[in-house]
Amino acid sequence: MYDVTTSGRYDVVYLKGDVDLSCSPKARESLLAQLSTGRPLLVDLSGVTYMDSSGVASLVEGLQTAKKKGLSFALVAVSKPVMSVLALARLDKVFTIYPSAQDAPA
Amino acid sequence: MDLIQQLLPVGEGDAEERRLLLLAEISQAFAGALDLDITLRNAVEKVCAYMDSEAGSIFILDDSGQSLVCRGCAGPVDITGLAIPAGRGIVGRSVRDNVVVMVRDVREDPDFSGAVDAKTGFVTRSILCAPLSLQGRTIGAIEVINKREGDHLFGPLDRTMLQVLASAAALAVHNARMAIGLVEQERIRRELDLARDLQRSLLPAECDEDCAITGVNLPAREVSGDFFDHFECGEGRTCFSLGDVSGKGMNAALLMAKTSSLLRCLGKMGMRPGELLTRVNNELCDSATRGMFVTAVTGIFNSATGELIWANAGHQPPLLRGRDGQYREYAAAAPPLGILPGVEYEEQRLFLDEGSFYLFTDGVTEGRDFKGGMLELEGFTGLLDQNAARPARERIDAVVKHIQQAPLHDDITLMVLESRPHAGLKLLDKLRFVADPAQLKRVRAAVRAAAQASGFAEEVTEHLILAVNEACMNVIQHAYKGDAAGEIVLEILNNPQRLVFRLKDYAPPVNPAMIKSRDLDDIRPGGLGVHFITTLMDEHRYLPHSGGIGNVLEMVKYKTANGAA
Repeated sequence: MYDVTTSGRYDVVYLKGDVDLSCSPKARESLLAQLSTGRPLLVDLSGVTYMDSSGVASLVEGLQTAKKKGLSFALVAVSKPVMSVLALARLDKVFTIYPSAQDAPA
Repeated sequence: MDLIQQLLPVGEGDAEERRLLLLAEISQAFAGALDLDITLRNAVEKVCAYMDSEAGSIFILDDSGQSLVCRGCAGPVDITGLAIPAGRGIVGRSVRDNVVVMVRDVREDPDFSGAVDAKTGFVTRSILCAPLSLQGRTIGAIEVINKREGDHLFGPLDRTMLQVLASAAALAVHNARMAIGLVEQERIRRELDLARDLQRSLLPAECDEDCAITGVNLPAREVSGDFFDHFECGEGRTCFSLGDVSGKGMNAALLMAKTSSLLRCLGKMGMRPGELLTRVNNELCDSATRGMFVTAVTGIFNSATGELIWANAGHQPPLLRGRDGQYREYAAAAPPLGILPGVEYEEQRLFLDEGSFYLFTDGVTEGRDFKGGMLELEGFTGLLDQNAARPARERIDAVVKHIQQAPLHDDITLMVLESRPHAGLKLLDKLRFVADPAQLKRVRAAVRAAAQASGFAEEVTEHLILAVNEACMNVIQHAYKGDAAGEIVLEILNNPQRLVFRLKDYAPPVNPAMIKSRDLDDIRPGGLGVHFITTLMDEHRYLPHSGGIGNVLEMVKYKTANGAA
């Protein structure tokens, strides 16, 4: 499972390594589990070395679930390769993205 | 064994039989003889001997018909080679009037010329002369002089005999002339065959299907004044040339061989097309026969990148048929080779991207079909359109076949240049794995290695990894529907122009039409994969799987357009 910390009022999930078809179910589980606590969520992607469409799908599902619950959901520390994948999927404007957890509104 | 000696016994024997035997022998000698002069001399000797005459000679009209030349003689005086004006003397009269002339006593015949006797000291008393006739023409005469026996005068029997012998002699002359003619024809034919073989050896070697350059040369007669050539000149490039020599026959063929060899030799030295033509032009102006010139196109083609540069010396403008089927002619202003020294030839350049570049001589556009109409440029492009889908070799053969409907008036030379994107694809890597997502990491590593080996930048490499990974995911999730035992094969292939990925599975065939890209504005999990593939790859297609089992997805990334080597 992935590391989780808190930063102010947010939970922060640290996704790590390759988030591809073999791991994306786990990532999805983590995000949804975290959201069930009812706190706003930040997803730290600094440790992500690779993300494929299934990884992106997990993020999208997280976003949609958070929206339904009225919780804020944002990505932080998005690396260049992950950014380009999001851009290719034209999702870079859809997610809220902060350079770091500290930049999220308190 | 001399028959006459056998048959001239001591006065005995059947004179008629002897005569017939002599006739047979002489006729046979004539029939077998090919060396005319020897035959004629032998014949005259025999005739003299039989007719018991002191001397004899045979005269043949020379080619001009103005003189009678002695081609054989027998007797005390050798007048072989003596020429007398046609119509002069007894012989002349015999030939002119085509009659046997018998002068029993020359002192009583005003036509007799004593000039030869005066020179030679011989005394002519009696002459018998019969004309040699061939196909209605008189070609000479045979005469015998001074009967030895009896009253030294020739008689009616002698006359008949000589007439018969003259026929045989005429036939011999005819045969000998025919034989000489045939030998000469044979010699000329052999020389032309040699010349044609030599020219064929100057043509480039046949190439396999993958060749970027395909050409054909058909001489109208034995030897050709047209040529074409192509050869590798290093670093994946091919040098080519095509030309047309003014005039026909051996002269044109020799100039063709010279020009083609010069272009090849200097081309192999790495000379660029413009300078190549300048040098060859100067050389031909220096050394070629006045009045002869050569039109030519020469250039360098890189079939992997598609880059084509060339220079044109007065030749028919090359024709480009673009990918879209549109035609474009590339005219040039410089003169043919061999006329003016010191000409600078400009280079022209283009990128051949799935188009075809045609070079040809006017034997093509002026070629005729069975109705006698000239092909012209329009007819030519029509044929190219009709055969556009066929491979280069078949296409060219179709054009040539059309022109060959009528006998060739002019040499045909035609050459086409095309880029060969799929040529020389080499296998870089091959992976076999099961349809388990855990295998994807290994696949990504292999794609990264291949992309880097091909010289792609980091960003493009990431894109390639993404696309191939997505394709694999689709196979795992949709083709095998999560069955982790399914087998997948990824082949990575490479040539100077492109990097190619072929992903094969053995699941039930997927209908490509069912695979659609997701509408991105409809944000839902899943479905992005196909979008990634179509966006990030330059080409993708489903190929037929051998054996009809499973699916093959081919994805292609161009190298040069994407900054790779």
